Amino acid sequence: MNATDGAGATALAPTSPAPDAAVIQLRDVVKEYPGDPPTRVLQGVDLVVRRGELLAIVGPSGSGKSTLLHIMGTLDRPTAGDVHIAGHDVARLADRQLSALRARAIGFVFQQFFLLPGMSATDNVADGLLYTGRRLRDRQARAREALERVGLGHRLDYNTEKLSGGERQRVAVARALVGEPEVVLADEPTGNLDSRSSDALVDLLHELNDDGSTIVVITHDHDIAGRLRRQVAIRDGLIEADVTHGAPEAPGTLREAAR
Amino acid sequence: MTDHTPSAATPAVPLAEGPATTGHGARLAPSALHSGDLFRVASIGLRSRRLRASLSALGIAIGIAAMVAVLGISESSKANLLQALDRLGTNLLVVEAGGGFIGNEDAALPTTAEAMLRRIGPVDDVSSVTSVDATVLRTDLAPSDQTGGITVKAADTELLETLVGEMVDGEWLDDARAGLPVVVLGSVTADRLGITDVGDGVQVWLGGQWFTVIGIMEPLELAPDLDTSAVIGRDIAIAELGAAEAPGTVYLRTDPDEVDDVQAVIAPTANPENPDQVEVSRPSDAIEARAAASNAFTALFLGLGAVALLVGGVGIANVMVISVLERRSEIGLRRALGATRRHVSVQFLSEALLLSAAGGLAGVVLGATVTAVYDAARGWEVVVPTVGLVGGVAAALVIGAVAGLYPAMRASRLAPTDALRTV
Repeated sequence: MNATDGAGATALAPTSPAPDAAVIQLRDVVKEYPGDPPTRVLQGVDLVVRRGELLAIVGPSGSGKSTLLHIMGTLDRPTAGDVHIAGHDVARLADRQLSALRARAIGFVFQQFFLLPGMSATDNVADGLLYTGRRLRDRQARAREALERVGLGHRLDYNTEKLSGGERQRVAVARALVGEPEVVLADEPTGNLDSRSSDALVDLLHELNDDGSTIVVITHDHDIAGRLRRQVAIRDGLIEADVTHGAPEAPGTLREAAR
Repeated sequence: MTDHTPSAATPAVPLAEGPATTGHGARLAPSALHSGDLFRVASIGLRSRRLRASLSALGIAIGIAAMVAVLGISESSKANLLQALDRLGTNLLVVEAGGGFIGNEDAALPTTAEAMLRRIGPVDDVSSVTSVDATVLRTDLAPSDQTGGITVKAADTELLETLVGEMVDGEWLDDARAGLPVVVLGSVTADRLGITDVGDGVQVWLGGQWFTVIGIMEPLELAPDLDTSAVIGRDIAIAELGAAEAPGTVYLRTDPDEVDDVQAVIAPTANPENPDQVEVSRPSDAIEARAAASNAFTALFLGLGAVALLVGGVGIANVMVISVLERRSEIGLRRALGATRRHVSVQFLSEALLLSAAGGLAGVVLGATVTAVYDAARGWEVVVPTVGLVGGVAAALVIGAVAGLYPAMRASRLAPTDALRTV
């Protein structure tokens, strides 16, 4: 399940066909924002994320990591370069199709949780499937299952405003997972959590990854990043380093280390 | 749809295995939003901001309520007038001396007028009233100029029937008593003299002698001038108070289908020598005119209701614009969850429609209630026109759609990355 070593930017020759296992494939991605002079936030990023990986994209604020997340999540399009998500060439998809891709292939976790107020945890998670066309009862059954997976089986009917920050972020993780997407993109998932909740969340991400989920964590926190198997460092819109720990660590060790 | 049974034993189906629907090269099934879910999604914003939603719906409700109530009250009033017409009949004609060119202050109907009019074929009923030059006072000690505007009239015994009058208390004149000093009071007269019943043989000082009050009339809608009169028998009026034998006013009941024909021949029949000195009127015309006049007021108030409705619509547009600004992150989240632009715009449009529909329904109920209470207070039959009820809700929905259109477009045009950016 662990990603192969050396799947860095250099491994992807421009002419080689996309490996079947690549969920996200970025090639020479450039993003500019208009202005005088234009701001070039990403200056040619190559990145491959394979199925079953758990990686951190780490960098200081202003490094372009959020823009990278938006492009990987098809919330934004690159100025130049190729983006393949789950085998789809994003450049060839219309806005409507990108929405469909997000509905079915990508799960998001945000720093601010973005849970809808006045709704139970189950309803919030079920909304992760809202735009897939599944029926309400099916969505709710899957939502309950997803909440069990993140350890919130006892909070199913709680209004999310009554949950702690750590629990809320778990609800958000469950919402991202409920559709069994090809990849989960987590944008500073621990940014609003205390250290204990952060540790618990990282453990949860490991567990979910062990169960097969592909997870990309965007963070500025090197401690958080250091606990994931692969770390991609980004600075000034360029990938600075792409390191994968040689030996896969047993999840138990990590969890113990976290305590 | 049958319930999906998740494989609970293996909570995570590894995504690397098994054909994923979104797998490489697979065709993308489009994003979808069921209509049942749309209602739920559209009501979230309202449920989580109840006060604001209620206040903006109230604006619409007031406008709709005003329009429904105006329509309802005017319809009830009209229905009431028409009922009165049904009850009183439209076939009563009133013949009086007057009109002509000059010197008609002395104009009077000939003594024969009543008998002549009776000979017109379709005339069913004739009765007459003559003014008597006398005053009515509560006692013989009251100053003779304090008449309170009450006149004395002599009438024949069929008058009450011709005018479809009712008695509050006591009895109307009959042939036996037409020559006796007895008097029947109009409703206003009784009020001014302070007489409420005729039980203990109450008397009034009329034309220099005591008359016993034998009856009090209900207000006469067809002959309001009799309400301020004291009515005595013709025989005693001529014999003792020097009243003229010629009738002052003649009331005719005709065949309802030939009212116009009769009206045309009345003047030459009543006064063959000076037909231009005869005035003929039809009291039911006045009631019909009142029904018509209420239409003018209805239009005015409907206009005011429309202004209120417009203001309500602006309120909804305002609330929706604010809502879109405030809920940027929700919009961003929904786009991230796979909502298309269209899903977002439909959500906000539906929200505006829900808001205005709620306001419209509340307004219709409120307007109908106001109508019912007002009608009940007036003793009318309650009439709430369907056009007001249906039209009220429809107008609210149109307003909601117009008010929601711009905010919905704005929400759908928001780029997901902008929406998710926290300020």
